[in-house]
Order: sequence, then structure tokens, then C-alpha cells
Amino acid sequence: MKLNIEGLLVYFPYDYIYPEQYSYMLELKRTLDAKGHGVLEMPSGTGKTISLLSLIVAYQRAFPLEVTKLIYCSRTVPEIEKVVEELRKLMEFYSKQTRESNNFLALALSSRRNLCIHPEVSSLRFGKEVDGKCHSLTASYIRAQHHSNPSFPVCQFYEEFDAVGRQVPLPAGIYNLDDLKDFGRRKGWCPYYLARYSILHANIVVYSYHYLLDPKIADLVSKELAKKSVVVFDEAHNIDNVCIDSMSVNITRRTLDHCQNNVDTLHNTIHKIKETDAAKLKEEYRRLVEGLKEANVARETDVYLSNPVLPDEILQEAVPGTIRTAEHFVGFLRRFLEYLKSRLRVQHVIQESAPQFLKDIYDKVCIDRKPLRFCAERLQSLLRTLEITDIADFSAATLISNFATLVSTYSQGFTIIIEPFEDRTPTIANPVLHFSCMDPSIAIKPVFQRFQSVIITSGTLSPLDIYPRILDFHPVTMASFTMTLARTCLCPLIVGRGNDQVALSSKFETREDFAVIRNYGNLLMEMSAIVPDGIVAFFTSYVYMENIVASWYEQGILENIQRNKLIFIETQDAAETSMALEKYQEACENGRGAILLSVARGKVSEGIDFVHHFGRAVIMFGVPYVYTQSRILKARLEYLRDQFQIRENDFLTFDAMRHAAQCVGRAIRGKTDYGLMIFADKRYARADKRGKLPRWIQEHITDGSLNLTVDEAVQLSKHFLRQMAQPFRQEDQLGLSLLTLEQLESEEMLQKIAQVAHQT
Amino acid sequence: MASLSEEVLLVVKKVRQRKQDGTLYLMAERIAWGPEGKDRFTVSHLYADIRCQKISPDGKAKVQLQLVLHSGESTTFHFANESTALKDREAAKELLQQLLPKFKKKANKELEEKNRMLQEDPVLFQLYKDLVVSQVISAEEFWANRLGGVTNTDPAQYKYKQEVGISGAFLADIRPQTDGCNGLRYNLTADIIESIFRTYPAVKQKYNENVPHNLTEKEFWTRFFQSHYFHRDRINTGTQDIFSECAKQDEKGLKSMVVQGVKNPLVDLLSLEDKTLDEGYGVCGAQPSTSNSNRTVKESSNYAIIKRFNHHSAMVLAAGSRKGETPTDQASETSSTDGNSRDSDFFQPPVKKVKLQEEYEDLQQENRPKTVPLNLKKSDRYAHGPVPLQSQQYTTSQDIINSVNYIQHEMANYKPNLTQVLSSTVATSAISALSPGGVLMQAGAQQAINQMVPSEVQGELKHLYVAAGELLRHFWSCFPVNTPFLEEKLTGHLEEMLQTAYNKFHIWQTRRMMRKT
Repeated sequence: MKLNIEGLLVYFPYDYIYPEQYSYMLELKRTLDAKGHGVLEMPSGTGKTISLLSLIVAYQRAFPLEVTKLIYCSRTVPEIEKVVEELRKLMEFYSKQTRESNNFLALALSSRRNLCIHPEVSSLRFGKEVDGKCHSLTASYIRAQHHSNPSFPVCQFYEEFDAVGRQVPLPAGIYNLDDLKDFGRRKGWCPYYLARYSILHANIVVYSYHYLLDPKIADLVSKELAKKSVVVFDEAHNIDNVCIDSMSVNITRRTLDHCQNNVDTLHNTIHKIKETDAAKLKEEYRRLVEGLKEANVARETDVYLSNPVLPDEILQEAVPGTIRTAEHFVGFLRRFLEYLKSRLRVQHVIQESAPQFLKDIYDKVCIDRKPLRFCAERLQSLLRTLEITDIADFSAATLISNFATLVSTYSQGFTIIIEPFEDRTPTIANPVLHFSCMDPSIAIKPVFQRFQSVIITSGTLSPLDIYPRILDFHPVTMASFTMTLARTCLCPLIVGRGNDQVALSSKFETREDFAVIRNYGNLLMEMSAIVPDGIVAFFTSYVYMENIVASWYEQGILENIQRNKLIFIETQDAAETSMALEKYQEACENGRGAILLSVARGKVSEGIDFVHHFGRAVIMFGVPYVYTQSRILKARLEYLRDQFQIRENDFLTFDAMRHAAQCVGRAIRGKTDYGLMIFADKRYARADKRGKLPRWIQEHITDGSLNLTVDEAVQLSKHFLRQMAQPFRQEDQLGLSLLTLEQLESEEMLQKIAQVAHQT
Repeated sequence: MASLSEEVLLVVKKVRQRKQDGTLYLMAERIAWGPEGKDRFTVSHLYADIRCQKISPDGKAKVQLQLVLHSGESTTFHFANESTALKDREAAKELLQQLLPKFKKKANKELEEKNRMLQEDPVLFQLYKDLVVSQVISAEEFWANRLGGVTNTDPAQYKYKQEVGISGAFLADIRPQTDGCNGLRYNLTADIIESIFRTYPAVKQKYNENVPHNLTEKEFWTRFFQSHYFHRDRINTGTQDIFSECAKQDEKGLKSMVVQGVKNPLVDLLSLEDKTLDEGYGVCGAQPSTSNSNRTVKESSNYAIIKRFNHHSAMVLAAGSRKGETPTDQASETSSTDGNSRDSDFFQPPVKKVKLQEEYEDLQQENRPKTVPLNLKKSDRYAHGPVPLQSQQYTTSQDIINSVNYIQHEMANYKPNLTQVLSSTVATSAISALSPGGVLMQAGAQQAINQMVPSEVQGELKHLYVAAGELLRHFWSCFPVNTPFLEEKLTGHLEEMLQTAYNKFHIWQTRRMMRKT
């Protein structure tokens, strides 16, 4: 259907539309009009992606000079591929309606592991290996060597691409990962480099967060993306953690040992080269005297995404003399390394700020702040000069030099914590230096500054106002949309008591209480008897789950559950869990029914959907608070309080509730889907917890279902499931939660939608 | 003695039955007992009739063996030979154990099949009642013709037997009972043993290796329940345990499953993340390490439980979906220890594409060409065409009054439009088509006959007809008459049968006539 969104003609590739999709597009259009940033929450399964794509593509076509590019960031590879498939559908609809082939170029970009077609390289299993192997076949000096000695192996796909691929732009179309590979195979070009090259002139780019948020990768990949782009972060409820992760560094004794080896290798290589090819080192020296001019030139034209690791001002300066010659730099690295080693030889926990650290390092080993800041750049330059083949080997040295640059660049927003041992095992010395970022806005700042519109969207972003605060930006629109439903297909229940009136809670004091554990077991057992097909249960942590499973086993509860359904359990091993997941789905598929015991914040809770019969009930055992005794967390909470005036408890609750919402939201993936959401902890009933759940869940929690016993919950669930099992047809939805074009355009409906939008 | 021609597998002397001494014979197809000094059997049971055997507990003074029949009766044998009573009993038990399942399956299968056919097909059931129960033909003859024919015509439908899966809790169903003196007793049934074997092929292999050369069956299961293997929370340490190898094998199977990876890319957690952080970056770098080195004993036992549960569930699932494997197919059985059932093979790349195209079914119009919707006021009239209105359609008197009023009203206001009437020929043809017997009234005419004869009479007539048809089928299947057997069948009892059938029909007819008049 063709929609009129405040004067913009939007092609929507379906015959029907949900009312909330219409409101979503309205808000989105307003955000783009204002050239500002937006925070939009809409439940999963209401067609967020297609709404986003339809509107932004229409906007691009209507105002090609205002918005030149859409950068769509998602979390996982399957999600990226799903987005591209939706886009393909939209484009097919366009060409059918307009009867002309459009010249849109859209593509997905992923790591080499997913795009490589080189027979040897692509057979490797881990991303790091693939990257390393690829580098060893495509690095510039390798290719130079190949030039002089053709028997030297190179990647023919890259050679082919380099020779001809750059002249001819990728023909217009939609390229998913597999399409890129196909195209690459046909032409004999490397799909990875082709994609990386093509995103510069593509209309739509779909890739993962890291390509934009992780400075180490963003600098390589996303540097030259046009300023007039719209950036969308989908599933962005966890974006602050991604930012923080990309800026934090941990250094252990092992890292230092590896680094020591790296430095030795560097030293030897320099020694060797000096004998054979001294000119090379001189050339490098000359370059460094001239400073990082190249980088500087690029930045002046303002087409580059600024690199947070490399602040603007250092580009004005030349690399300081103390580390300019290769030997001096290696010596410098040695000294720095020794200093770090001495710091790790502590007996008690130390926490200090970056300036304190710099002062100490100056006092102890006379290392200035300035050369430290150039450490990362200098190492890169040296590795290039020395023609080191396997960059992956030098990860430790790179890590240390990145740390040096970060610690000397940012005086705010970071903390250094040195722990001599793990809290759980105080007898085993395992010193770790955490250099941890506390301010997610540092990593995302360049994105907000550079691109004209950034949309942050997810199914669970409540409470909305906290994201602008912790990411430090000013949105022009903030809206939360609910799911209009023709039948109440979700049933949130808060189970606060066992049948014996024991209060259920995962809080620390009652965590080991047998009565609580037994009642939790009872809840799961009763549910396994009445819920068809799949049940997913989430615990607050691995340790907690292991303990509960063990005591359920001892009490014979698990045996009774096994009578009803098979049991699969998530472990910390990803491969093992994948296997369990597949078996779980198989068991749901063949009608046997299964239970998956899983962990909030784990991989399953973040990336796997349990559509339809794969998840008819989700049980959340306890409130998934983060482990609060961690010093890093404490430092971050302190920082949040001082800098953003966010109270510690507010943040912790917010964090716990967003993960709980993520977990229970896994089961509902659309309006035809249905599922129970059981919150098994009495604390969920409190207003401060409940109020932080997304609106679309909150509004279905009735006052009567706030403090149920297990039996009551079972009764309510039975009733709910029986109702949901009735046939549900399109006609039932039509006019309520599903609209035809005529219905949408009726005055009455538009008013209703406007009202809904105003409420938010 | 007729039994002399039978093969006698085992003879046990000094066996008491009803306080009488005698000898127990186990033969190829039956078990029999004869009192001492007599030349005939007073007890004789076909193996097929025996449901199960029970033995007295070991500690008891009397060494007994009880046979329970399908009919519910039971026979108890008391092994009275003082020195070898136990051994005798064991020998008899062992042999019976091997023999019974064979006969059980055969008997049950046939019976089940017949039962199923009769249940599924009401016409056949009626025919069975008409012909067999009223003794027109014998049951064997009835089935001889039926069974073969049916299974040949549609083998796929009837031969396919869905295998029964395994309960997830079969191990839990073995409830240990304390026997009062610091011991535990486990009750094993054949079903449970089969479940264990199917789920854990490694145990079966051990069983085949060790029983009966190294261990007796009882010892085997005692060791099984004592072993660490059964108790999942213990960590394998002992090597003297014969099941430690099983555990290792399971471990290997689990590992190979994990290494194989998953075929559905949407659940592959390893490739979910596009770009993981390099080592050393990230906040939670100091995760509690998963290596076993610094785990406490309790933790690693918890971890073992979790692993075993995953494995158990996977094996149960795999055992349920293992198809087409004959028990003798040892090779395939051992190769499938990895527990990967074949269903997962269907996850092929094209499936990935389908899965990626997450569709909102409700947003989409159904897949058929768009047409102008027909606006029907009475859809059933459209569907059935002009049918004579039946009296029951006007259920309420209010309806009738309304319609009468309506017609009256119509008639009152009727103004003939004489310029647009039909030609007389068309009118006559329309009238003839609409009168009884006309083209459009055929449904009505049939109904009249249907209604004339009461339904019970129709039913009885139908049964007679079908029965006669079946007999005729038997009759015609004898041609060409090329064997003496067929000839005998034709001249002998078929004629008789037809006569019986005819008599039956005649009786029915006269009875009907009588009732009518």
C-alpha cells in the first residue's frame, strides 16, 4: 500500500498495516525533518524494521540531497540478514509499483569470517584466524614480494578486486551476505573488500554496531561515510554496554608475558633489518618527523569519522623525538612494560584515576604523557615498516599500546583498578589491571556529532529518558509505542509466594533458602504440566542456576519435570549451548515439549527468539541484578551519580528491569504469537520495579496479578492458554490491530492514532 | 504322546505344581508340566498366551516361578530339587525370557492389526459381525482374504508403524525402595531396560559384552545402579567401574555433537556475534574462568549434572527419532551414539533463507489473485442452489407468519408488467424444470424415496447387501478353479454359505413384511 505520512509518499510492501507502525513512521519522519536524534520504543513483532526501512527509503527518494545514506546497525548476523531480506521485499515492491528499476544499492557488511570465499581461509572456524590468514595474504608488502617473486602466495580474489574491482561500482541492487559471496565468486573478486569499498557509495549499509562504535574498527571501516547519513541502532537497549566494552582494557600477567615476547621479536627484527635494509628505517623516521600529516589532511576535509582514540590535537604534532627511532621506541615499550609488571605485583586492591596513574608513571620510570599518547600510532607504523606478517601475534603489544594511548588521552570517564586476586579465590594470585570506561558517551560521541540523525530503537528502552542521559545527547523525539491487540496475547503474572506462603525472591539473604528453591521448582513443575511445547526459564546468573539445578536434582524435582518435558540447560560454553538449543527446538518441533534453563544477560537471552511454540511461557526466576560487588561496577555507579545525577539504585533497577524485559520479551514475536510471562519474585510487584518495564508489558499487569501464589498462577495460566488456543483469524484483527488503507485513512482512526501518539 | 514330535528345549525334574511332584518341559512353542509317573500333561500353555513370568525373591525358602497368562490366570511352579532348585529355576527363567518376547510380538502384532482394522473401518466391523459372528464363514477365512489383500494394496499406510518414544523420566521411574536392612531395591521392567538400551547404546554394548559370560544379569544391573554413571552428580574417578568407559564414551559423543556444530544458523551462538571483542578488551574480561582448575568440587559436580541433563535429553530425543533400525544392526547403532538424530539433517541452507524472511503473515493478503468480492445476502442459498424448502427450515411460527404476510403483501401490490413477460415456451420449460421430476427438482425427488423408507430398514438392507457382496467376492475369487482346494471350497461350503445368506435375507424380508402389514 501507499501511505501518506505528513505529505511524504511512503511505499509499504504489505496490504495491511498495524496502527503503531503508522505512528512510528510519523515520529520517525518528524525526527528526520528536524535533522535531530530520536529514541523510539516499539515492541518486537510489530514490524519495526520494515517501518524504519519504508520511511527512510521514501525519505531518501523524496529528498536525495538531505539524506544520502542509511546506516543500519544491528546486533547479530542473523538480524543483519533479516534486515536485508526485508529491504529486498521493499525494493521488489517499489519496482513493481513504479515499473522502473531503481538504482538503489544496499548491502550488508560483516567480518571476513562471514564473507571470505578463499578456499583455504574461509575453512577456518574462528574470526581471528580468518582475519590473520587474510592479512598474511593481502598485506601490501606481501603483495610487493609477490610482485618480485610470483611463487609467493597471495589471495587471487583480492588481487583481482584490486586490479579491476574499484573502477566499476557494484551494480545497483540488494546484496545480502550470500549475494555478495555469489557475486564475488562470479567475478573472482574478494567480497569482503568489495563490500568495504562499496559501502562508501551505497544508499543503505547494514552492519553490526562495532563497525561504528568500536574505535579500532570504525577507524578502518566507517571513516569515510557521508555526514548526511541517517544512523539507526536497532535493538539498542544494550548500547551503553557495547560502548563501554569497546573502550575498556584488561591487562593480566599473561598479556604482559605475551607482550614481552612481542617486544623481543620487534627488537630482533629491527636488528636484522638494520643489517640488511637500513634505508627502510630511515624512511620511516623521516615520515614520523613530518608528523601524522596524512591523517591530518584527511580530517580537515571533514569526511572522516573522528577517532576517539586519536584526538584531533595530536595530529597537529609530530611524533615526539623520544620514540621516533625504532630502537628508542622498543626501549620505551620495555620500560612501560616493566612498570606495568611492577604495578601488577600488588597485594591489595588499588583504584586510581588516569591522572594519578600518569603522575605515578612519570615519578617511577620517567615516562611522559606525550609519548604515551602516540604509542598506538607509533606501533602501527613500526609494524608496517617491519613487515610483520601475522598481526594477530602482536595483539598483546597492540593492546598495551592502545592502553597507553587511552590512559594518556582521557583524564575523565575512566578508572584504573588493580586487583591482585579474584574475589572468590583469594588464595590464588591472579593480578588484573582493569582500565575501564565508565562513560558510554565517549565512544558514541563521534557518531552523534558527525551524523545528522541517529535513531535509537528497540522493543525495550524503558524508561526512555535514561538513554539520552547516559549517552549524553539531546533527542528531538522520544516515544514509546504500545502494541494494539485484538486479543490479549501476553499474560504477565507476578508470582510472589509459594503455595506455603513463603515469599519468593532471589535476593541475597534468601538465595540459599531451601523453601524458596523448592517453591521455584514447584512453579516450574506445575507449569511444565500445563504449558504446551516450549518453556524458557531464566535465572539471574550462572552460579545461581547451577546451585538451583543441583538442589532440584537432589530433591527429585527435576525428575518430576522430566515426566512432562525434556530439560535442556544453557552452559557457559557457546558451542554446547548451541547444541542444546537446537535439540530444544527439535523437541518443541516434534511435539515432545521441552524446557530450556537459561541465564539472563547470557547469549541466549540476548540473541535467540522463541517464536510461537518455541516459547509458550517464559519464567523469570528472580530479578536479574548485575553482580553489585564488582569494583568496576561500583566505580561506574559512582561516576553516574557524580556526572549524570543518576542514583545508584535507579540505575541498578533500570539495568535489571531492561534485562528482565528482554528475557520475557523473547516469547512474543508478533500479534499472532502468544505467551505467558511469569515474573517469579515478589519484588516485581513494587511500583519502582514494575514502572520500569516497557509500557506494552506494564499495561497488561493487572492489580490482581501482582502477588500470586503458584497455584493461582497456574489457574490463571490455564485459563489464558485455553483462550489462546482458539483459532485466531485475520478478520478478528482487522480494524482493531490491523488496518487496511481505507481504514487507516478514515478520520476516526487517524484521530485515534493521534491520541495514542500524544499519550507517549 | 503327541508332544514327542515337538522339540523339547529343557526338561526340569522335581518341579511341584499344586503340591504334586512332576516334570516341567519347555518346548518350542509351549511350556508343559506333567505329574510324575503319568504320561500326559496336566498343564500346558502356549508361549503366546503367557503375559509374563514372575520369580520369588532370592531370600525365600521356596524357589518358585509364576506364569501369568493373558486371561489373568496364573500357574505357579515350585522347584523342589533341594540342591539345584535355584539353578533349575534360573535356567527355566532364562530360557523363557528369550522365548516369550518372540511369541509375544507375533501374537500381539496380528491381534493388534486385526483390532485396528476393525476399529478403523466401521463397514468392515459390520461385515465381520454379519458374517463371522453369525457364523456364515469362519474368522480365519474372513481374515485370510482380508489381511493379505489390504496390506498389499496400501503397504505404506499400514506397514508404517510409528515407534513409541521414550519417556524423558524413565530413569526417575525406577524408584529405589529400601528393603529394611540398609539396602536398596530397584524394580526393573523390560520397558525400562529397553529404554536404557535405546538411550544409552554404550550400556547395551557393555551388556552384550559382559552378560552372561562375566556377570549375571542381576549383577550387571546391580553394578549399573551402584556406578557413578547412574548417579550423575558424582565425578568419575574410579577406573574399576565397568561403566566408566560408558561415561567416557558419552563424553566423546557429547563432544562430537558439539564439534559438529548446529545446522540451523539462527541458533548458532558461535556465529551470532559479528565481531567479538579481541582478547583483553571489554569490561567483563575477568569472568570466572570456565576451566576446571579452580572450580571447587561442588561446582564441578553441579556442572557435571548440567552436562548430563543436556546429554540425557539429547539422547532421549535421538532415541525417539531413530528410525528404521533393526536391533541386529549393531554397526548403525553404535555409530549413532552421537545422539544426533536425522531430523536435523533437514536444516539445509535454503531453510536458512526461508527463516530469514521473517514474515508478518497477518500483514499480508492471502496469496490468491484479487477479485471483486461477491456480496451475498444468503450465502447458503448461493452454495446449494434452488432446493425445495424443507419444513424444518422454518422453525419458528413467527417466521411462517412473517413470510405469509410478506407474500400477501407482495401479491396485493403485484402489478403484471405485460411488456416484459417471458415467451410461452420458455415459461413452460421453466415450469417443467421446476416441477417434480424436472431438471432442477431432482434433489427433491430423491429425497422423497429416501424419506419413504425408514433409516433402520435402509441400514439393515445395506448390511445384507454388503454381506452378500462379500460372499460373492469369495465366490468369484475361486475362479478359475485350478486347485482342488478351490473346487472343494466352491462345491462345499461356499454354496452352503450362499444358501445361509439367502436364508438370512429371506427371513429379514418376511419379518419386514409381517411388521408392515
